[in-house]
Amino acid sequence: MCKKYDTVIGLEIHAELSTKTKAFCTCDASFGGDPNTHICPVCTGQPGALPVINHAAVEYAMRAGLALNCDINRYTRFDRKNYFYPDLPKAYQISQLDLPLCVNGKVELSTGTVVRIHQIHLEEDAGKMVHDDYHGQSYADYNRCSVPLIEIVTEPDINSPEEAAEFVSKIALYLKYLNVCDAKMQEGSIRADVNISLKPAGSDILGDRAEIKNLNSFRSIQRAIESEIARQTEILDQGGKVVQETRRFDDATGTTSSLRSKENANDYRYFPEPDILAITFTEEDIEKAKSEIPLLPHERVEIYTKEYGLTDEDARVLTSEKYLSDFFDETVAIYPMYKNVSNMFQTEIMRRVKETDSEEIAISAKNFAKVCEMADKNTVNRNDAKTIIRIMFEEGGEPEEIAKTNGFIVVEDTEAIANVVDALFAERPDLIEDYKNGKTNVFGFFMGQANRALKGKATPMSVKAYLEKKFNEI
Amino acid sequence: MATISTLRKELDSKSISSVELTKEYLKKINEHPELGAFNTVCEEEALSLAKLADKKIANGESSPLLGIPLAIKDNICTKGITTTCSSKMLENYIPPYNATVMDKLNAQGAVVLGKTSMDEFAMGGSSQTSALAKPKNPFNLECVPGGSSGGSAAAVSGGLCAAALGSDTGGSIRQPAAFCGIVGMKPTYGTVSRFGLVAFGSSLDQIGPMANSAEDCGIILNAIAGQDIHDRTTRSHNINFNELIGKPISGMKIGIPKEFFGDGIDDEVKTAVINAAKFYEENGAELIEVSMPTLKYAVSAYYLLACAEASSNLSRYDGVKYGLRTESPESYDDLIKKSRSEGFGTEVKRRILLGTYALSSGYYDAYYKKALAVRQQCRLEHDEIFKKCDVMLTPTTPTVAYKCRDNIDDPVKMYLADICTVTANIAGIPAISVPCGIDKDGMPIGFSLSAKRFDDAKLPQFADFFEKEHMHPVANI
Repeated sequence: MCKKYDTVIGLEIHAELSTKTKAFCTCDASFGGDPNTHICPVCTGQPGALPVINHAAVEYAMRAGLALNCDINRYTRFDRKNYFYPDLPKAYQISQLDLPLCVNGKVELSTGTVVRIHQIHLEEDAGKMVHDDYHGQSYADYNRCSVPLIEIVTEPDINSPEEAAEFVSKIALYLKYLNVCDAKMQEGSIRADVNISLKPAGSDILGDRAEIKNLNSFRSIQRAIESEIARQTEILDQGGKVVQETRRFDDATGTTSSLRSKENANDYRYFPEPDILAITFTEEDIEKAKSEIPLLPHERVEIYTKEYGLTDEDARVLTSEKYLSDFFDETVAIYPMYKNVSNMFQTEIMRRVKETDSEEIAISAKNFAKVCEMADKNTVNRNDAKTIIRIMFEEGGEPEEIAKTNGFIVVEDTEAIANVVDALFAERPDLIEDYKNGKTNVFGFFMGQANRALKGKATPMSVKAYLEKKFNEI
Repeated sequence: MATISTLRKELDSKSISSVELTKEYLKKINEHPELGAFNTVCEEEALSLAKLADKKIANGESSPLLGIPLAIKDNICTKGITTTCSSKMLENYIPPYNATVMDKLNAQGAVVLGKTSMDEFAMGGSSQTSALAKPKNPFNLECVPGGSSGGSAAAVSGGLCAAALGSDTGGSIRQPAAFCGIVGMKPTYGTVSRFGLVAFGSSLDQIGPMANSAEDCGIILNAIAGQDIHDRTTRSHNINFNELIGKPISGMKIGIPKEFFGDGIDDEVKTAVINAAKFYEENGAELIEVSMPTLKYAVSAYYLLACAEASSNLSRYDGVKYGLRTESPESYDDLIKKSRSEGFGTEVKRRILLGTYALSSGYYDAYYKKALAVRQQCRLEHDEIFKKCDVMLTPTTPTVAYKCRDNIDDPVKMYLADICTVTANIAGIPAISVPCGIDKDGMPIGFSLSAKRFDDAKLPQFADFFEKEHMHPVANI
């Protein structure tokens, strides 16, 4: 079936930066804390208090911009965005309007679509309202107030709900790789506003758009867009006109509803923030920010496939999270058997960490490298190696110690092999006779018995070699 | 009137103690409630600070302000002491922190007598927009002391304190200083921290001294100036505000901008100011005519910029966190509407509306942006002027202090009276007002000296030179 409309989507992604302190004061910017414990005269908007910009926030935003292929404005300025809301103590948000930090970026999606980034600007977060319906009271918690945010604004280059979800998850992943945002959607550290319009297939003229505010999961971004496309399609099919307005998405019903129309839109009365001086960046500032950008996922995939000889699939799995990729890199730096480490890592490490929410791997890369090496060199057999990893996860400890205590160390004791096999031959002359009569399957019996008796002292390979020698001599 | 420098000698020679001095001022404050100079008098705190100062003096310590009783304008945050901005909105507001200037005064061991009344949120030139104490002019109680730092001016002029801090957004230190026959100085924007000064027009506001002599102004500025990590608009500088006092002025150039002596300037004021200029000329300075064509746009530009910033700065008073909150609001919108309607006076509301309008979409380019262009032009003209001269000399005010009832219903007339002072704020340059006689009714007249940015020390130098030959008028109080 031919598509009747093209979907045009633009995104505004708000990402909280993971700086230690807030954007304009020295309060703790970490998530949580009892209400109103991370506050001071500045972030609660006391009369006379003044903002002082946190340089780390500027550097983080710059790093994000550079990684997303943006140009850095050499001259950047802050503006006040004025509106009343009880979670906004100054009644204005310090933001950036026409001279943002970063402009003109781009990100390529797996579909081949290139999404242009219009700008990335730095601003501050608001606090949080807590409503007590029972007593009809509302409370304001200012802990999040003035935590630094970047807002990433795209051009309307996204064509489907899937592309939108991919774009947001890609941005989230990049920000994590850059160490500038922990990208925990459940803690609200990444939120998105979506602008959607439909136009007749192939047309160049954009339709009227609706904006859906404050989506806070990859899934709700996709669902909200799907539902909005359906709604706008129905309106257009019936010859109607889409109203330009702000809408909200209800996760429970999976539908959007009107929040406010364009006529009731706020006039934010932006003007240059007089309390913060404009910043002029030097080439050195920008070079320094560039030097602080770690290898990004696509660069690591390139290395894993081209230099390490891993498959594309393996490379993608390993780079799906920064902490996984970092751990893998640390391991292969010690023990560069890429393919073997990758296999062991995916089956034994990733499986375990995926079961928890934590992004911490309970064992060290050094110990993991050691176990991989022990397995590859037959110091322990592969199954025992896996057991060692399990024990390290559950109880800790050093791999060699664990192997010794549990008798996993393989010792190639040729004398012991001879003793055991010779004894078995002496015990079962009947089976030797059977073998002579052509019943060669008795070999398996001897192999099993010998291995059991020689556990930890010889590898099955050496046992097999000795047995073969013995039978040949018969 | 006793200057800080004389009091310093008396305190250090122990001919008077800080406690005795403080008690004297407190007594005088209590004897003159009709001056309406104070919103809050901190008797206990002042006496304990004075005791502490006496102990230090007894130990042989000395610093320029140790044990000197001062008054503080009520828009400068004092930890634990109400800071009202003379508004019902903040009538009970007790700041949880000190302004940087207060920390600096404390470090010097100065004694804070109390908080002085002012125009509400520093908006006005009469101090009669105060919702709390309404200060009067010590030279004539029926007249205004000027504003917005009218309480500080009345307190210094009336002898209720040794000196005071004021704040100046468009003339709020210099104009009341002129009206009350004292010296007031607004330093270069960025020399004194604004941290803890309740914001009116952030790009224009500056704290400064109001005192009985130019030297006293320099003493206070030396104590409170300096770069502050809490205010990134402060600059690193090493100005010693009094270092040029006593240095000869002969051969130095004084610019006389003709636009400041046109229609609208009272004849008696004009004469007194021209005489001051002549005095310098007679003593070897050279007078040169300079020009500031943007002056005719200055008041409009000033009110647009100041009100635009004020409309944003005053938005935080919404009844949610502190300050006046209306009784039983029906909703959040109702809470802000009613709290702001009840908390702010007419002049404050007028300026918030004006500023909100100027920043509104569709009007921004026509008003705010144009005002910024005027500001830029005004700065360039000042740069040109100060290439030709060391200081510029103008009247501080078009008239002397007027009657309390006058002008109050004509805001435009009030705004136009700021014509002589606003350019210093727009250009960010330092300016000082010095008394230069009285009119036929005995009301003080002041003239102003200004200099280029960070050339502040030239102002006490010139002012002191004039003072040495001209006694300040003294209020009969």
